[in-house]
Amino acid sequence: MTADYSGTQKLNYLNNGFTLKSWLLTKDHKRIAIMYLITISLFFLAGGIFAATIRLEMLTPASDLLQTGTYNKVFTAHGILMIFFFLIPSIPAVLGNFLLPIMIGAKDLALPRINLLSLYIYWIGGLFTVWALLQGGVDTGWTFYTPYSTTFSNTYVMAVGLGIFINGFSSILTGLNFIVTVHTMRAPGMTWFRLPLFVWAQYATSLVMILGTPVIAITVLLLAIERFAQVGIFDPAIGGDPILFQHMFWFYSHPAVYIMVLPGMGVISELISNFSRKKIFGYEFIAFSSIAIAVFGFLVWGHHMFVSGQSIYAGLVFSFLTMVVAVPSAIKMFNWTATLYKGSISFDTPMLYGLGFMGLFLIGGLTGLFLGAMGLVVHLTDTYFVVAHFHYVMVGGQVVAYLGGIHYWWPKMTGKMYSEFWGKISAMLVFIGFNLTFFPQFILGYLGMPRRYASYPEEMQVLNIFSSAGASVLGVGMIMPLIYLGHSLIYGKPAGDNPWLLPGLEWRTSSPPPTENFEVMPVVTWEAYEFGEDSGLDLEAARAREAAKV
Amino acid sequence: MSAHSETEKFHYHEPGLQHQFEDMQQQEESVSIGMWMFLVQEIMFFGGLFTAYLVYRSRYPMAFAAGSNHLDAFWGGLNTLVLIVSSLTMALTVFYAQKNNRNMQVLMIVLTMFFGAVFLGVKAIEYTDKFDHGLVPVAGWNKRVPAHAGESHAAVKPCWEVDHNAPAEEHPNPRGEFQFTDCSLVKQAQDGNYLTAAERVGYFSNGQIDGNKFRDKVRIFYYLYFVMTGLHALHMVIGLGLMTWLLITAWRGRYNEDYYMPIEMSGLYWHFVDIVWIFLFPLLYLLGRHFMH
Repeated sequence: MTADYSGTQKLNYLNNGFTLKSWLLTKDHKRIAIMYLITISLFFLAGGIFAATIRLEMLTPASDLLQTGTYNKVFTAHGILMIFFFLIPSIPAVLGNFLLPIMIGAKDLALPRINLLSLYIYWIGGLFTVWALLQGGVDTGWTFYTPYSTTFSNTYVMAVGLGIFINGFSSILTGLNFIVTVHTMRAPGMTWFRLPLFVWAQYATSLVMILGTPVIAITVLLLAIERFAQVGIFDPAIGGDPILFQHMFWFYSHPAVYIMVLPGMGVISELISNFSRKKIFGYEFIAFSSIAIAVFGFLVWGHHMFVSGQSIYAGLVFSFLTMVVAVPSAIKMFNWTATLYKGSISFDTPMLYGLGFMGLFLIGGLTGLFLGAMGLVVHLTDTYFVVAHFHYVMVGGQVVAYLGGIHYWWPKMTGKMYSEFWGKISAMLVFIGFNLTFFPQFILGYLGMPRRYASYPEEMQVLNIFSSAGASVLGVGMIMPLIYLGHSLIYGKPAGDNPWLLPGLEWRTSSPPPTENFEVMPVVTWEAYEFGEDSGLDLEAARAREAAKV
Repeated sequence: MSAHSETEKFHYHEPGLQHQFEDMQQQEESVSIGMWMFLVQEIMFFGGLFTAYLVYRSRYPMAFAAGSNHLDAFWGGLNTLVLIVSSLTMALTVFYAQKNNRNMQVLMIVLTMFFGAVFLGVKAIEYTDKFDHGLVPVAGWNKRVPAHAGESHAAVKPCWEVDHNAPAEEHPNPRGEFQFTDCSLVKQAQDGNYLTAAERVGYFSNGQIDGNKFRDKVRIFYYLYFVMTGLHALHMVIGLGLMTWLLITAWRGRYNEDYYMPIEMSGLYWHFVDIVWIFLFPLLYLLGRHFMH
């Protein structure tokens, strides 16, 4: 298991061909993941710049930096880029693509050509959307509510809609590929209940992807046809029903929230267990709670429509189901906490992100219950309380988990170790900056500040300044990894095959892994997260070995 | 499940085996699950449209009945028959591949393609008919029929007395707009007292039947008709593309009893597209016909 410092470069997926063609026509899931990583980072940067613009505008009560129309386009662009082009593909397409086959002991995903196709579809959909945003953008909000989007908005609704339509098929194909791979590609001995929980989370996410995404595809298509032909089923002027659009939109977009957070929960299960050096508490409960979230997630979309004309009886049912869907998330939280108990915890950078996730997701999840309560939501709907809630889940949950996962698997993906010192600083900056940005927004929302306006009353300025200040700290925390991870690519120390001394299959192959992942096909004879006495993974013994060598 | 326990025994590679699999059985399982997952995805895709159809049909049953009555159940029925027969020839293609019979494979693929093409031809005839009669729901996308001087008295009649079976020339449509002048079903439902709540609002202005408001609801029916059958036809065109590829490879003798997954998978797709039509036909052509026949 020790690293090979002899200087001879082993053949791995990175040095197996250097031409552009060897990348663009690759069927290797690891290369596809790296190309996803680069593209997604660009979209994250673009979405982040729009976020910074929003926070700059909100420094002052008047709409002085941006005109109100431009402001609408800026927050729409922020939402669309972040949700459809960063959050949804983030963990599945980068970490899932890279690690899922390795974690189950396969040479590749089951359908490598489909995998490459999904990357190309993502690129085409992304280019289409970026082109439309450059042409003048769209001002409907990422929700595209009708009839504003079909009849009144004078912006590039159709072009952006089609970009999202195209992009949807990328996520469908990724989900399809993961489901097939988990079913058929597991190595001998890798039973369902030996799968790492990251794989379970990816599987549950994939179910949501193939069941939900086609519905948003057809909805956006109907929207585009309606806008183009000026006739359709969402137009109240001829007897159509705009609420139907909201039903169809949220039938996907609520489960999409779980596409955005379930993979993050998978990463956290890995981090918490591995950095406590302890078998995870309640493996089966965490595994099945992922599936439960995927299933119940499809039954709660109506809680986005409590005040938009849905019947109150439907509202009652949706409110109840919203409480139900919180249970599996709570099960995960309890199990992670129990795993930490009496664990041998080390506070490496990934673990800092992991613990940060637990704090932030706790707040994000609990405030979700406020918004699922039918009475309270009348006061809170469409305020900054909602904004703060979903940022706590999306950024505090998924983005933090994504960054944690990137740090955790960086030595495996690149073979290089990043600077632990700067890693810890950035993890803490992200945590502090995030809370400073979004906690004031809970208070603002409770005080009644509505979302999506470029101006606000003067008495709300202090909290808004806190929020904008926090955003700049958060921004620094997010940009730092770009620098020290990039730096580590060239100057980083060789990581060795198993820098964290962990039992998972991905740590039993070389770093970076060879093109077909393993020299010899592995046969799995151990349970997941096994840190037993005889596993050879005793941290102190390993440190003693290293010391003896020196 | 994962069926590759005896891996490193021999290194014979079957011709169709992709590098990431251990053996043909694993590959076939993967491809088959993948195809089924794709079809699940397709069901959800069409499911959105069927939901929209059900919502509006239950709201405006008379408008949907009136719209249905202007679709030709003969052409629709013929197409149903054609597609069912094409499913048979598709299934026989798989059968003959399993029997190592190249010539019959090719013949059956050609027949499947022929029936697919007939279906699309009939669809074209129907679409042309809608174009001629002002039933395409997009303004300007219908045949332009200039107004005749001196025949304006026809417009004076209330909409429930208009004879919609009159030749197209008698319905002037100078700007190619969606036209639907016959609201006799509303009158009938009003007299029989079976209008839905949505209809009592949706078809009337000041207590009077409003021909224009009724026309808008029929327009929703035709909007759904064109989107649903249009997407279905698009799937047929993709199916024909698959068949062309199968025809070329089958002609070269690619498929035999050991390797026929591409035929079987294309067959699954083809049957799925047929089944969508099996639902579209009664929903669009048959429901509500008894109101006029």
